[in-house]
Amino acid sequence: MPEAAVIRKPRVLSRVFSAVRLPVGDPFAVVGLVIYALFIVTALSAPLIAPYDPTEILYTENYDLASDLLPGEEGHVLGTTSLGRDIFSQIVWGARSALLVGLTAAFMVAFIGSIVGLLSGYFGGWVDALLMRLADVAFGIPFLPFVIVISAFSEPSIWNTVIAMALVLWRDTGRVIRSQVLSLRSRGYVEAARVSGSSDLKIILRHITPNILPLSFLYGSIAIGWAILTEASISFLGFGDPDAISWGFMLQDAFNSQALARQAYHWFIPPGLAIILVVSAGFFISRGYENLLFPKLGR
Amino acid sequence: MSKFKSFLIRTLQLALVLWAVVTILFLMFRLMPGNPLAAYIDPTFTAEQQEALIRQFGLDQPLWRQYFTYLANLLQGELGYSFRYRTPVADRIWLLLPNTLILTFSSLIVAYAFGILAGAWLAWRRGTRTEAAALPVVLATRAMPEFWLGMVLLAIFSFSLGWFPAGGTRSAGTSYDSLWALYTSSNFLSHLFLPMMTLAIYSQGLPLLLMRSNMLDVMKEDFITMAKIKGLSPFAVVIRHGARNALLPVMTSFAISVGYQLQGNVVVESVFSWPGLGRELVNAVAASDYPLAQGAFLMIAVVVIAMNLLADLLYSILDPRISHA
Amino acid sequence: MKAIRNLSLGAGIAASLWATASFAQDPIRQIELLSRPQAAQPAEFQAIQLIAQEWRKLGLDVKVNVMPWSQMADAVWYNRDTWDVTAWQMTGRPERSDPDEIIFNLFHSSTAEKGYNFIGYNNPAYDKIVEEQRVTVDPEQRKALVIEAQEILAADQPNMMLVHPQQAFAFDKTVFDPTSVVDQSGIGIRSYWSWLNITPTGDQKDIIVNSSDNVIAVNPLYISGVTDNWLTELIYDRLFRVGADGLPQPWLAESFEWRDDTTIAVTLREGATFHDGQPVTAEDVVFSYEATTGGEAPMYAPFGSNVSGIAVEGDNTVVFTLGTQSASFLTSSLAKINIIPKHVWDPVLADLSTKDENAESHQEDMPIGSGAFKFVRWLPNEEIVLEANADHFNAPKAERFILRLVPNAEAALGMLRSGEINFLTDFQGDPQVLLDAAEQDGDLEVVSTVDIGFRYVAFNLRRPPFDDPAFRRALSAAVDRRLIVNAAFKKFAVASNSVVSPALEYWHAADVVDGFQAGTDVAKSILEEAGYGGVGDKLTYPEGVSETLAD
Repeated sequence: MPEAAVIRKPRVLSRVFSAVRLPVGDPFAVVGLVIYALFIVTALSAPLIAPYDPTEILYTENYDLASDLLPGEEGHVLGTTSLGRDIFSQIVWGARSALLVGLTAAFMVAFIGSIVGLLSGYFGGWVDALLMRLADVAFGIPFLPFVIVISAFSEPSIWNTVIAMALVLWRDTGRVIRSQVLSLRSRGYVEAARVSGSSDLKIILRHITPNILPLSFLYGSIAIGWAILTEASISFLGFGDPDAISWGFMLQDAFNSQALARQAYHWFIPPGLAIILVVSAGFFISRGYENLLFPKLGR
Repeated sequence: MSKFKSFLIRTLQLALVLWAVVTILFLMFRLMPGNPLAAYIDPTFTAEQQEALIRQFGLDQPLWRQYFTYLANLLQGELGYSFRYRTPVADRIWLLLPNTLILTFSSLIVAYAFGILAGAWLAWRRGTRTEAAALPVVLATRAMPEFWLGMVLLAIFSFSLGWFPAGGTRSAGTSYDSLWALYTSSNFLSHLFLPMMTLAIYSQGLPLLLMRSNMLDVMKEDFITMAKIKGLSPFAVVIRHGARNALLPVMTSFAISVGYQLQGNVVVESVFSWPGLGRELVNAVAASDYPLAQGAFLMIAVVVIAMNLLADLLYSILDPRISHA
Repeated sequence: MKAIRNLSLGAGIAASLWATASFAQDPIRQIELLSRPQAAQPAEFQAIQLIAQEWRKLGLDVKVNVMPWSQMADAVWYNRDTWDVTAWQMTGRPERSDPDEIIFNLFHSSTAEKGYNFIGYNNPAYDKIVEEQRVTVDPEQRKALVIEAQEILAADQPNMMLVHPQQAFAFDKTVFDPTSVVDQSGIGIRSYWSWLNITPTGDQKDIIVNSSDNVIAVNPLYISGVTDNWLTELIYDRLFRVGADGLPQPWLAESFEWRDDTTIAVTLREGATFHDGQPVTAEDVVFSYEATTGGEAPMYAPFGSNVSGIAVEGDNTVVFTLGTQSASFLTSSLAKINIIPKHVWDPVLADLSTKDENAESHQEDMPIGSGAFKFVRWLPNEEIVLEANADHFNAPKAERFILRLVPNAEAALGMLRSGEINFLTDFQGDPQVLLDAAEQDGDLEVVSTVDIGFRYVAFNLRRPPFDDPAFRRALSAAVDRRLIVNAAFKKFAVASNSVVSPALEYWHAADVVDGFQAGTDVAKSILEEAGYGGVGDKLTYPEGVSETLAD
C-alpha cells in the first residue's frame, strides 16, 4: 500500500507538508528539481541577467540595425534577431513568461480539478452526474483548437491563453481526484467523523482534502509542461501576446524571419532546448511524485 | 448483456456531449464581440450591400433562431457557407479531411510499432545502463514542441541535405486517378515522410512507456515464472508470453491517441504546408472566417468524441484482462 | 504639474516658468502615431520607430501605438475625426498604372467624407487640376497637369511619403530563358506578360509559382484577392490590357475609335473562342458589362459605372457611351472588366437574382473564359493548375501554369531551391536572404522592381497641429528617407516624395523628389520660421494659435 495515500490520523498541516515533500530520493526527480531551481532563479532575476531589454531594437554606432549578428559578434552571446534584438536576453526573459504561464495554469488546473473531484466524489448523486458529464464535455473539446480560438478572438494576452487551457485541462485531475475521494469516503475514520456529527464541510476540509493534495500536486506538475508547450504552439501560430517575449514567440519570429534558410541554428535551437529542458524537468519531477505516491507504477 | 446496456448508456451520454460541444461552439463564435462580417465588408460597400451580406449569412436573425437553424442544418450535414470563400464549408472540409487522417494514422502506426517494440525491449533490459540512458530521452521527446521538431527536421533534411521536399502532399501538377493511387505513389510518400516522422517521434513515448510498464507487470505473473522454469530462453519469454499479454491495454490507448494527434496536427500541418484540417482551422481563425473555423473545429471534435467512445468500448471488452493484472 | 499647466494656459504668465523659450504659447499635445505590429509589418514598424525618434528631436511628444490592421482600419478609416498620424500604404496594381486613381481618389475633396481621402485634404486649387486632367485626352497636356498636382502635394505635404518598395521576385534561369521574362513597369517580373512570354528551355515546361495567400475564388465577377487576380487575368480576356510599358493596349479588341469625347467604338478580334469552343461575340461583351453593373457584382460595379450606354453595331463592334468624359477609361474600365460567356453566366445570374447571394458567392467547378490559359483543377490549400490555351491569339510558350499555395517564406525559398517551384512570385521574407540564397545556388535570378505602390505616413488634416502645412513640412523634413530605406526596408525601396511612382516614368515628377531637403536642422528652421516655440525642447503652437480639438 502506498505510504502517502494511506492516512490514518489526519492532521492538516502535516499532510500538506507530506504533499509538497520533494521526491529527493529519485535521481530523475533530483535532476528535474535542479533544472527547476535554475529556471526559477533565471526567471526571477531576468533583469539582472539579461544584458538588454528583450524587445529593444539595437543599432550599431553608424545607425545601422544590429540585425542578424552571429553569436559573439558585438558582445551578443547568442547573436541578434533579424530585427536587431538580443537573442540571449530573449531566452532569459522567456523563462519568466514560461514560469508565469506554467505556474498559473498548473494552479488553476489543480484547483478547479480538485474542487470538481471533491464535490463529485463526496456528494455523489446528481452533483456527481452533472460534474462528470461536464468532464465528458471537456474531454470532447479538442484542446489545442479550443485554446487557439479563444486566444485569437479575445485580446491577445498570456492570461487568456492560460484561462482557455484551464477551462479544458481540469478534466483529468477532476476524474482522478473523484475516484480517490470515492475510496476515501468509505474509509473508517471518515465514517466515524460522519457518525459523530461533523459537518460535510469539516469532513471535506479536515479528512479528505489533505489526502488528495499529493494527487493535485502531481497533476499540477504535469500541467506545467502542458501549459508551456501549448503557449509555445499558440505563439508559434501567431495568436500569442505580441508584447510578451516567450520561447514560443521567439520560435515564431525565427521561423518567419527565415532562420532556417539562414542556417541560424543559434536562433531557433536555444528556445527549443529551453522548452525541452523545463518541460522534461516537470516530467521527471512528476515521475518522482508518482513513485512516491504509487510505488507500483514507476520503476 | 449488461455490458451492452452500459455501452448503450455511454453512447447516449456521448451524444449528449456532442450536443454540448456543438452548443459551446455556436456560442463561442457568435458571442465574440464585434461584427463577425467586419473583415469581409469592403470599405467601398454601400449600406445596402452590407445589409445584403449580413442577410445572406442569416446574421440579421435573433440569436435563438440562428441557433436552431444551425442545429437543423447540422443534422442534415450542412455546415453553412464560408465568409471568405463564399462556398459551402462542408465541401472544403470533406476534401481536406483525408489528408489529415492519413497523416494522423500513418504517424501513429509508426509510433506504436516502434513504441511497442522499444518498450518491450526496455522492459527486458530493465536495470541496465541502456535503460537508464533511454528513459530520459523518451521523456524529452514528449517535452519537445512538435512544430520545433518539425522545423529542425525541415532545416536538416530538406533545406540542408535536400533529401525530402519542403511541403505539400505531391509535386506540382501531378494528378492520380484515385486517392489510393496517390497515397501509394512514391511522390506522395516522400512528401509525407517528414511531417509523419515529426508526429511519430513525438507520439512514440506514450506506447513505449505504457508497454514497458505493462511488461514489467506481466513478467511478475505466475505463468511467466512457469515459462522460465520450463527452461525457455529469456527473450522468448518476453516476446511469446510477456508482450502478448501486455499488448492489449497499449492498443486501447491507440484510440485516445488518435484524438490527441489530430490536435497536434494543427501546428505540424502549418510547418509543412500540409493541406489538412488543422491548417484550415488556423487559417480560418486568422481570417475571422467563423463558419469555416466552426466546421473544422466540429469535425475534429467529432473524431475526438468518437475515439473516446471507441476507447471506452475497448476497455469494457478488455475489462477481464485488465482486472486480472 | 497638470494643474500648473492648465493654470498657465489661462493666465499666460506662469507659462514662462516651464517653457523658457516661448511666452504664452499653447503647448502641442502628445501625438499618437499608429503602426501595425512588427510581426505583420516589420518594415513599417521599424520605420515608425525611427520616425518617432526623429520627431522627438524636434521637441514633439510622440507616442507610438501598435495595433493590428483590422483595428487600425477602424480607428482611421471609420473614425475620421479622432486619430493623429498613422502609417499607411497603397499597393501597386496594374490599373494604378494610370495616375488618375491615386491623384484623384486620395486627395480630391469629394472623397474626404467616405472615400479614400481619409486624411481630409481639401484644396480647391488641387481639386480643379485633378478634375481637369481627368477629362484631358491629350497626353502631353494631361502630363503637365499631373506634374502640377504632384508639385502642389509636395508643397502641402498632406502625406509624408516614405518609399516605393522594391519587390523582389526570382526564377530558375536553368528552366526558363531569362530574356523571355518580362519586367512590367511598376509591377515586376511577376506580370501577366511573363506568363505569356516566358520560354522553357529544357524538359520542365511548366511555370510553377507560389503564393502565401490562399486562393479564395476563381470568379470573373468577384475581386477576391491579389493572388486570385493572377488566375482570373489568365483565364479571362479583357478588351484591353495594361502593357509592359504601363499603357493600355487593345487585347480582345482589334481596334478602337473615339467618336467623340464620350463615345468609343471597339471592334473585336476575329476568331476568338471560349475554352468550351463557343465564339466570343459582341453579345458576350455587352453581357459582361451589364453583368458587372447589374447588381450581382458589387465589387466590380464601380469600374463599369461610367458606362451609360452600350450597343452592338454590325457583327463585332461594341459602342460605349460614357456618362462623363474620362481619360483613363481604357485602363480603368476596358482593361479591368473580364469578358465572360453569356451562355454560361446568363442562367446563373437569372437564378441569383431571386436569391440573397450574389455572383460573388458563385464558384464554378470549371471556370470558362477565353484567356491564354484554361482552368484544369483546384486542390484546396495546395495548388491550382491551368494549362496553355493553344488556340489563343497570343498562346503562351509554357505548357502549364501551376500555382502552389505555400504559407510561409521559409518553405517557399526552400522549394525554389529544390525545384519544387521555379518562379518565386510571393516572397514576404528578407530580400537579403533571397539574394544570398541565389548567390549560393547559382541557378536563380533575382529581379527587383520599384513598385507603383508606396508606404507613407498620413496626417489627419482635420486636427491641429496637422492643419498647418508648415508643420507638416517640418515633420516630413525631419526624417532622412535614406534612414528609412536602409534600416527599415533593408535597401529594397526607393525614397519617395510623390504619390506617382518613378516606375510610371511618364507621369512621375522627378524634380519633386530630387529637390526634397531633409534633416533635423531643416525641420527646426521650418518650425522656427513658422513661429513655433520650444523647438528641440517642448514644441508649442505659434503665438495666437491655440489647440482646439473637437472630441
